[in-house]
Order: sequence, then structure tokens, then C-alpha cells
Amino acid sequence: MFLGTSSGAGKTTMAAVYCRHLASKGVRTAPFKASNLSLNSYATSEGGEIGMGQAFQAWACGAEPSVEMNPVLLKPSGGRMQVILRGRPFAEASVGQDPDTEMMAAEAFRAFDSLSSRYDAVVCEGSGSPAEINLLDRDIANMRMVRERGIPAVLVADIERGGVFAVIYGTWRLIPEEDRHLLRGFIINRFRGDPSLLRSGIERMEELTGMKCLGVMPYADLRFPEEDSLSEGRGRLEGGDLRGAFMDNLDELLEIARESLDMRALDRIAGG
Amino acid sequence: MRSIKKKVAEEMKRGHRGPDAGCPYHPSHFKGQDCTFCYCPFYPCNDTDLGADIGSKRGGTVWDCTDCLFIHRTNVCRFILSEFERQGITDPGDPRIPGILPEAKRRFFRTGRALMILGATSDAGKSVTVAALCRILSRKGHLVAPFKAQNMSLNSRVTRKGHEIAMIQVLQAMAAGIKNPDYHMNPILLKPKGDTVSQVMVEGRPFGDYDVGRYYGEFVPGPGREIVKRNADFLKARYDFVIMEGAGSPAEINIYDRDIANMGAARLADADCILVVNVEWGGAFAYALGTLELLEDQDRRRLKGIILNNVRGDPSRMEDGARRLEEIAGVPVLGIVPHADVRLPTEDSGSFRGRDSVGSGRIKVAAIKLPRIANFTDLDPLFLEDTTVKFVTDPREIPGFDAIIIPGTKNTVEDLAWMKESGMADAVKAMKGKVPILGICGGYQMMGRTLRDPKGLEGSRPGTHEGLGLFDTETEWDEYSKRVRQDSAVLISTGEPVDGYEIHMGMKVRDGEAPLFRVDNFNESFDEGSVREDEMLFGSYLHGLLDRPAFRRYFLSFASSGEGEVGTEDYDRDVDENLDRLADVFESSLDMDALMGILGVRP
Ligand code: SF4
Repeated sequence: MFLGTSSGAGKTTMAAVYCRHLASKGVRTAPFKASNLSLNSYATSEGGEIGMGQAFQAWACGAEPSVEMNPVLLKPSGGRMQVILRGRPFAEASVGQDPDTEMMAAEAFRAFDSLSSRYDAVVCEGSGSPAEINLLDRDIANMRMVRERGIPAVLVADIERGGVFAVIYGTWRLIPEEDRHLLRGFIINRFRGDPSLLRSGIERMEELTGMKCLGVMPYADLRFPEEDSLSEGRGRLEGGDLRGAFMDNLDELLEIARESLDMRALDRIAGG
Repeated sequence: MRSIKKKVAEEMKRGHRGPDAGCPYHPSHFKGQDCTFCYCPFYPCNDTDLGADIGSKRGGTVWDCTDCLFIHRTNVCRFILSEFERQGITDPGDPRIPGILPEAKRRFFRTGRALMILGATSDAGKSVTVAALCRILSRKGHLVAPFKAQNMSLNSRVTRKGHEIAMIQVLQAMAAGIKNPDYHMNPILLKPKGDTVSQVMVEGRPFGDYDVGRYYGEFVPGPGREIVKRNADFLKARYDFVIMEGAGSPAEINIYDRDIANMGAARLADADCILVVNVEWGGAFAYALGTLELLEDQDRRRLKGIILNNVRGDPSRMEDGARRLEEIAGVPVLGIVPHADVRLPTEDSGSFRGRDSVGSGRIKVAAIKLPRIANFTDLDPLFLEDTTVKFVTDPREIPGFDAIIIPGTKNTVEDLAWMKESGMADAVKAMKGKVPILGICGGYQMMGRTLRDPKGLEGSRPGTHEGLGLFDTETEWDEYSKRVRQDSAVLISTGEPVDGYEIHMGMKVRDGEAPLFRVDNFNESFDEGSVREDEMLFGSYLHGLLDRPAFRRYFLSFASSGEGEVGTEDYDRDVDENLDRLADVFESSLDMDALMGILGVRP
């Protein structure tokens, strides 16, 4: 599970990169995001609607996008929120008035279990930050999945605006103590400059939290469709063949990831 | 001296006066100042807490009172007058007068309180929070100054005394009602030159170029701390409150011990701190708690409150989280502040950041997005007009615009090379005579015929460069010198006033063009800029030339082709109104009693 310390931290992309990594090693892999708040959706071949990010991640796996990869999709429009369950419009709610959490959670677990039974690996992506203490009881996409399915998790933190150690530490602190053992590592994303400057901070963070630093990803001006998508996209894929361009970018990024991250450690974490 | 005594005698006879709004110079120091003693009965007091000895033009020294605010405090004025009365002093030469000042100081001279606004990230909203607090406190009648120990910025302004400081501190000083911001408010200014090197300005003057390693390795442990301390102390001695702004996050544990911008400055100024977190990107509670807990113990004790900033939608949805954060962190949340829809120039060009185009007016203005663009806040006042301003990098777009602006740059020679390579130079030249073209500072230098850099001071090696040839001017860089000054000018064509400031290296050496402005400074007058009205070409070194309506209106009138009424709004007035609105938003969402308590003011 890739959890972000904020929206736009880079978890969609990191999950896609990891999907690509596993697929290239011949592991049958599927992406999964329990619940997605997004305006951009993709129509699967079964005629269901899922978040665009999961469609791209599926292609990264060499898999066909399916509604189980994103069982709950919330599409805000005006003051309303369209709730899409298993690819089909289910209800409309006004923003702020949340649809039934338990029902959505049940959908999510069912979809996740079905994917796990059919694939060797399921690469999960969280939603927003897992440490929104005002939303904890309604959050199904982050710690609830992690806890109830025992999924090992990795934090993805964006360093671009600064405060990266604070947000890694703060996220870890706000996760209930009994769940923290599932937080296994962190990735510092979008760094410009010489990563050795960060070393002392990283060591301190590893000591304080017991999480392992899996590496520092350099700033790459590649942005992928969609990530908590209410934020404006920064950077865009150009050209007509979006999917082809995306795959090229992703392969480039995978190269970078293999140079910058400890992929073996990531594999070990993913392996349980 | 005799005439001063005469004025003082008149003041003594007149008695208490309060703020004199009728005076053309009012306020000469700060909004709400007491004008009873425009001429000081103690002059020269030789008290360096208040004034300073400075070199005089005629040699020797002269006592300078420009930084003395003490004499303009109402309680001080009333006390002095009451002493005059009590002791029966009516003659300004009375030998008992100097004895009154120490007593006045004993009663009213207090070291001000410093409050540091920290951000959990960059763009957390520190600078607007400082501006808002400055305005709130100033409206309550307190004397307040902004302070940012170290600012990295490409947008600077020139103070009245000719020092360069970050634009944002000038804005905050305006929020505080201060007439003449000075370098104490931003004693260290880093102006990025490339990816890793910055020009370090100390107390408004160039100090040297540093890369990151040398800056933290040599500058900070060397002169850095002392610079921060003496300037913070200077302000604390004069103002009731000094509202400080941090830089980036204070919890960067990899450079914690070398920081003089955040907790380092807070310690040096003995400031309490408030942490501002931008909730827009999510993870706000994690940012807040993590920042707080990563501070060293001695620093964490300074942290007295948290502000959750920039909430869009219903702020009450954050309340549960805020209460839980308070419990876990042990620090009160002072307020949940909604997104403030105000129009202010901001450091990261809030106006432009992440967006290429601003406004939706009829006049389409292309601003050439030079790779090393600097002082782009020059363009902000265009938003007051019926314009759409777009940053353009693709020369093919140029023909679609009604006006073109070539802004300032950190490096004229390199950006000129980019203009040529990218085809932008030809695209702009092709528009000559069709739409108005304005070059500001570096952009103006580029518009000329020749740019000579015989010693390689601007470019990476010596050379002579062909400009765009729109003007018949030549620029030369012949020594490492920099012109930094404030100018007040008139637009020659209409006779209307324009204010601006110059910051540039490289001087114009040949000029066959008609001047655009006539600069009339206190001690010098000269022609400035170039203009060819028939070909609609305009160029000037004056940053800020669009701030007042005169030049803006004139320039856009060439573009508007009769369409659209070009406004006359004064940029400063607009900014002032927006500062009030910003302060209103903060004042209504913050727990003001708690905030005033942190500042040591009991209700
Ligand atoms: S520094 Fe202040 S008190 Fe001293 S002479 Fe000047 S105005 Fe008067």
C-alpha cells in the first residue's frame, strides 16, 4: 500500500511505477484503490466507471482495467457528489453528507479479496493523507484497508514544499499505535539537489519511527493523470497518444526509481 | 538650529496635537503617529536608543532622527507637555529640558515583544499571516514592524535610503502603517543567481555570492547570527511588536543547527512562535504535529499556538480535528482561517504560480517569460485594468496579443541569448509599430542596439551582443557596480507622477532616443528611459512604473484601440484595501484574546 502524506505526494505515480516493476519481473499484478475522489474517470471494457489513475496503473501492470480496481468512485459535481459503486452510479449525495461508510467498506473489501485471489500481487494506493484526524472514522481507503487486510504500507512524502520530516513523523504519530507496525518504510519524493544533504535527517527519522527510508526520488517533471485529482494538475502529458506517452514516461521513471530506491527492500516489504 | 528652536517654541505654546492629517507629509513615520513635536525639543539628544550619528555631506557628523518613533508616541508627547507645565518651562532653550528625556524613557521606553510566524511548509501562508497581524495590531493603535531574518526572493524593492529588501517585507510594512520600510526588516536577502548560487545582500547592500554549502558553512556561523540579532534588537527597541516571519519549515532536522531563519532567529529575538499550516493539500494535522515534535525542547516551549490556514469550504468540518490536535500536541489552535480571496502581490507570485494567465480582460498583454525573469511583481498592477496577462514562452503566440512586455531579468545577456535562440526576438521585432512594446530594466537593455560586456561581468565570458535594435541605445557593464535607488518621476508626455526604483548593473552609455520620464529626486534630476510614441516603443529602468495609474493608463491606451475604458485605480490604494480585508478575515477567525495574551496584552 502506498500512502501519501498529503494530496499530490506522488502515490499514484509511485504505485504505477511499482506495478510496472513487478509486471516486468513477470509477477501478475493488479492495482487497487478502495475509494477515489476524482473527476476524471475511465470506462472499462465491462462498461464500468473507475478512476483514471487505476486505469493507467492497470496498463502499467499489463492488465485490463476492471471495476474491482476502484470499487468506490466519488465524483463531485457542483454541490453534489455522485457515488459510483463497482463502476455503476449508485447515488447522489450533497457534498459533506457522506454515503454509508460501512456499505462502501464492504464493497472495497469484496473487490480487494477478489483481486487478491486472482493476482499474485495487488499494489494499493491510499487516498489523501491517512492522518486526517477529523475524518478517521469515515476513511476506508487508508488505514482501514491496511489494518483489516494486514497490508504492509509505505509512506510517500513530497519534499518540494519543505517540512518533509515533519509530515512523515506527524503522520506516523497520528496513526494509532497498534497499527504502526504496518508502516514499514517511507519514500521522499521530488527532491532537487544532492540527496546526501538529507542523510542526517533521514537517519534520525528511521531511529524515531523504525520505518526504513526506501530512498529519495529526484524531481522529475513527469506527471501522471490524476492523483486526488481535485488539485489542479501540475504538468501534463502532451501529445495525442496519452497511453503510449504514459508508458514511455513510466519506463523512464522506473529506471530512475531503480537507481534511487532500494527496490529489494520494497520487494521484501511487499512480500510480507 | 535657531529656526528649530523657534519651531519648538511654537509647538510648546500650541500644546498637544495628536495626528496631523492635514500635513502634506503626514504620516511621516507611521499611521496614527502623534505630531505634537514635529521638531524635537531634545534635538540632538545623542541617545543611540533613539537616533544615530551619521556622516554629513559637508564632512563631520550630524544627528539623525529618522528612525526615532519615541517622540511620536502620544503618551510621550503628553508626558513632555505636562512636565513643561509642571516645571513652568516655556523657553525651548531652558536647561531643564534635556533632563525630561531620561524620565520619559524610564516611563515609556520598552523593548517590544517579538512574535514569530512559522510555516509548516513553504507557501503555508506565513507572509500573509504576518501582514494580517501587522494590520490588525496597527488598527488597534500599536506600533508594529514586520521582520524576516533571511528571505530568498527575486522580488525586491528599494527603501527610501537606497537599500534593497524583499518586496514582501515592504508590503507587510505597509500593512503595519509604516511610511518608510527599511533594511532592518529584512537584513539578509538571498537573490538566487543560478540553481545553487545566490547573491547575499546584507542590510540592503551586496555582500557576496554564496553557494548552499558556503552559506551554511561560513556565512551563518560567521556574520549571520550577529546580523539577525542586531536588526531584530533595533526593531524591538522602537516598536511595540515585531512580527517575524520564518522561512520554509522550522523542522528541517538535517540543517536544524545551522538555521537562522526560523528557530535560530526566534532565539536571537527571544520570540514566541505561532505555526501556520496550509490545509489545502491535506496532511495538515500531520504537518502540524510533526513540526512541533521535531523542534528541540528549548524551541518547542516557544510555540504558543497553531493556525490552520486557507480552508476552502466549511471551516467547521476542521473543528473536530483541531480539538484532537490540541489534545495530542498540547498547543492551542488559535483559529481556522478560511481562504481569503484578496488581491495582494505575493512572493511566489500567487498571481502567477502554476498559472500562465491571469485576468480575463479585453486587452491581451504578453509578458515574455524569460528563463531568469525577476521582479515580475512589476506586472501585478495590470490586474487592475481590463487586461488578460499571459506569460509567453512560445514565439508563435506573440502575434495574438495587444501589447508586449519584456520584464526584468537576473541576467540580461543570457536571457537575450534565449530570446534569439527561441525565436522570441524575431517574433517581438515583427510586432514593432503594430502593438505597444515595453521593456523594463533588463528587458529595456535588450531593446537597445548593442550590449557591451567587455569584462564578462553579466555574461559568462566577455563579449559584445547585438540587442533587438528597437531603440538606438547601448548598454555597457564596465565595473561590478549596482545602481539601487528610489526615484520619483514624471511621465514627460503627460506630466503625471510616477514612482519607481532602480536595481541594475549595466549602465546606458549611448542614447539617441527621447526620454520617457523626468526623474526629480531630492538631490538630483535626470532623464530616464526611452520612448518612440509613433512606433509604440517604451523602455525604462524603473521597476514599479505600472503601480501608479499614470504610466499604466498611458501605455495601455496604445493597446486598447479605443476599446475598453482603462481604469485609473491607484495600485497602492487597492493594496491597502485588500490588506484591510485580509486583516478582517484573520481577525474574525482567530481567538483574538488568546493571541493578545501571547503578545502579553491583557484585556
Ligand atoms: S532621536 Fe528622537 S528624541 Fe532624540 S533628538 Fe531625535 S527626535 Fe528627539
